[in-house]
Amino acid sequence: MKLKKLIPIVVVALVLPLAACSSSNGSSGGSTTAKSTVNWWTWDDKQAAAYQLCVPGFEKANPNITVKITQYNVNDYFTKLTAGFVAGTAPDAFQNSVPILGEYASQKQIMPLDDLIKKSGFDLGKYNIGVSSWKYTDGKQYGLPLDWASSAFYFNKDDLKKAGISEDQTANMTWNPDNGGTFDKIVAHLTVDKNGVRGDEPGFDKNNVAVYGVGSLAAPDFNGQTSWNSFASSAGWQMGNKKAWPTKLNFDSPTFVKTVDYVRSLEARGFAPKYGSFTMADTEQLGSGKVAMIEGGSWEATTFAKLPGMSIGIAPTVKGSNGRSVISNSNANNIWVGTKNVDSTWKWVTYMGTQTCQSLAGASGSFFPSISASMVSVVNAQAKQGVDLSVFENQLKNKELNASPPMANGQKLTDTIQPMFESFFSGETSDAIFKQATTQSGQILTGK
Amino acid sequence: MMTTITKTRAGRLGKRPPRVRGSINAKAPAHRRDAALAWVLIAPGLVGFVAFVAYPTLRGFYLSFTDFRVLTPPTWTGLDNIIELAHDGVFWNSLLVTVYFVAISVVLGTAISIVTAVILHRLTASSVIRGLIILPFLISGVVAATLWSWMLDAQLGVVNVLVQHVFGHPVMFLTTRAWAIPSIAMISIWKSMGYNAIIIFAGLQTIPSSIYEAGRLDGASEVKMFRYLTLPLLRPILAMVLILSIIGSFQVFDIVQVATRGGPANASKVLQMYIYQKAFGQFDFGYAATMSLALFVVLIVITFLQMRLTRASESDTN
Repeated sequence: MKLKKLIPIVVVALVLPLAACSSSNGSSGGSTTAKSTVNWWTWDDKQAAAYQLCVPGFEKANPNITVKITQYNVNDYFTKLTAGFVAGTAPDAFQNSVPILGEYASQKQIMPLDDLIKKSGFDLGKYNIGVSSWKYTDGKQYGLPLDWASSAFYFNKDDLKKAGISEDQTANMTWNPDNGGTFDKIVAHLTVDKNGVRGDEPGFDKNNVAVYGVGSLAAPDFNGQTSWNSFASSAGWQMGNKKAWPTKLNFDSPTFVKTVDYVRSLEARGFAPKYGSFTMADTEQLGSGKVAMIEGGSWEATTFAKLPGMSIGIAPTVKGSNGRSVISNSNANNIWVGTKNVDSTWKWVTYMGTQTCQSLAGASGSFFPSISASMVSVVNAQAKQGVDLSVFENQLKNKELNASPPMANGQKLTDTIQPMFESFFSGETSDAIFKQATTQSGQILTGK
Repeated sequence: MMTTITKTRAGRLGKRPPRVRGSINAKAPAHRRDAALAWVLIAPGLVGFVAFVAYPTLRGFYLSFTDFRVLTPPTWTGLDNIIELAHDGVFWNSLLVTVYFVAISVVLGTAISIVTAVILHRLTASSVIRGLIILPFLISGVVAATLWSWMLDAQLGVVNVLVQHVFGHPVMFLTTRAWAIPSIAMISIWKSMGYNAIIIFAGLQTIPSSIYEAGRLDGASEVKMFRYLTLPLLRPILAMVLILSIIGSFQVFDIVQVATRGGPANASKVLQMYIYQKAFGQFDFGYAATMSLALFVVLIVITFLQMRLTRASESDTN
């Protein structure tokens, strides 16, 4: 008799959690009343805090909309997002990165924004960078740019002083793949061996270097974003055979091959650490005092500036026969096709694209706004804190930025090309590997 | 321990009475509701098993014959994935890399664990020292790998300060082809050694000291006693440690992901790493499922062979 009483209890115990699950789902999805909530995701904790500053202003202007900003670590971010698409719990709008655009647009998970842009009369022209990176192969606009990032050289001012090199010299470094220009001379002179002999002096011991003139430029990412790319493209090299959605990457171009050979020669001459001898981030390499100058991302400017006990300067990338050219990438706002509040979401997304919000959120220096006027206020705000971002401001002003092209199958490309770069830079293979890299990139980009 | 061994022996010789299906007096009024109660009691476990083991396994099996990119429903592609697998150089390379890692970490790891356990057994009864030995096992793999990759850094790592004093030049432990897998295996051994040593240590404690006394009376040396008494008596425990560490080593992922991410130039791209990249990086879940299935088959074959070769269910007593 007791048993019969037991069964319903067990059944209830098993089913109750499920019921609780579904009811909580129901309430979050069914908010069709006047008040609506817009969920927005980012992977950057600093940017989550920065954009939170825009929320009060937006909610005041739109009293029936609440905005909820959520941040997930970048390692989980895209997995969580993908799971959300499947389960129907994805955010209404979210920050996205160019290499993922192809994946989400081709599987129809993000909304083309052209109709919304036309209907609301939104002006894409106010963005100074990033718009073209968010056009998919169907010619439609899938994202509104949020920011941009590039690279520059960070140097230890004390090392520069000791070497008798002026900051004016580092601000005007020239380079060519044949003799390395003034960049090569500066790097050689900045290098000091264990006996205090400089890299351009007789008796320099390249096997016992105390301070390297430049951090390794041998980066295996196929963009070379914070390393060799600014060298190759200053000499006129273009990565893709097209500006957007290329079908081949030009790794077999003689200019490119000469550039990476030059990068390897820096190590052979002892001016840069051997590939793989540092497993630390570039801020730590410069901070350790073993490297006098290093190329790094623009997003690291505030981190470099805070290195304890060090005075850090920022220099632009090298000038080649093609002038200066720095690869830049822009994250953007995407809208999920499954959103139930298209209008409120569009309002929030476009509000984030206003100069007011971009200037407010950008002031902390956690990102560079895609709108020039906001960029100026970011540079001013950071200057007050002693961080000089004028190098980056000039990149935007002087049109030295070269948007990294959106590509199909970006992750597969990374996973395939990166090992080839690694084998070249570690000396396992010769530069003949880049013929193979070109062929394979073509196959991956065209989906064969 | 001894009693279970004699029991299985007896069972093997057929001395045990044949089992009757259903329990004695199953039809008796007192047992009439047993089946229902049994189902109720099993239900939570069964639900868990079906939801978290059986269904995912079967679904994974199905997905390995499809092209599945998560956001759109899977499409059946038959044997395409398997044909692709056969021609995928990266897959075969990563299988070799994995086997290399397993070989180093299992052989060296077990040897070090046995030696540690024997030394513990013979020299100390201190539970503090036993506790210390197992400490690395309690650290998460990610933390262990992060710490080691700092310590092994060629320019700034503390290990290389030592290496440089002894050999005059630093070693690029995690960034050269020759050292990547041995270094990762070393981290893995460091982490799991204590756990295995404690299991073996527990096995050693079940060996009666009278056996060693007898050995000593016969004039056997310590080394001989280790070879002809300790090892044979430990076999069931060793077999378990071996099987667990082989399976565990085949599944290595966290250390690789943190320490090298499969580099340099695929030198440490173990199978799990490749599967992860395909599934969660490239959204190619169908192909990733095929590779998981291949790993599953490899593990089943190895476990089966091992059970046969080591006669894991028997010991050499009696």
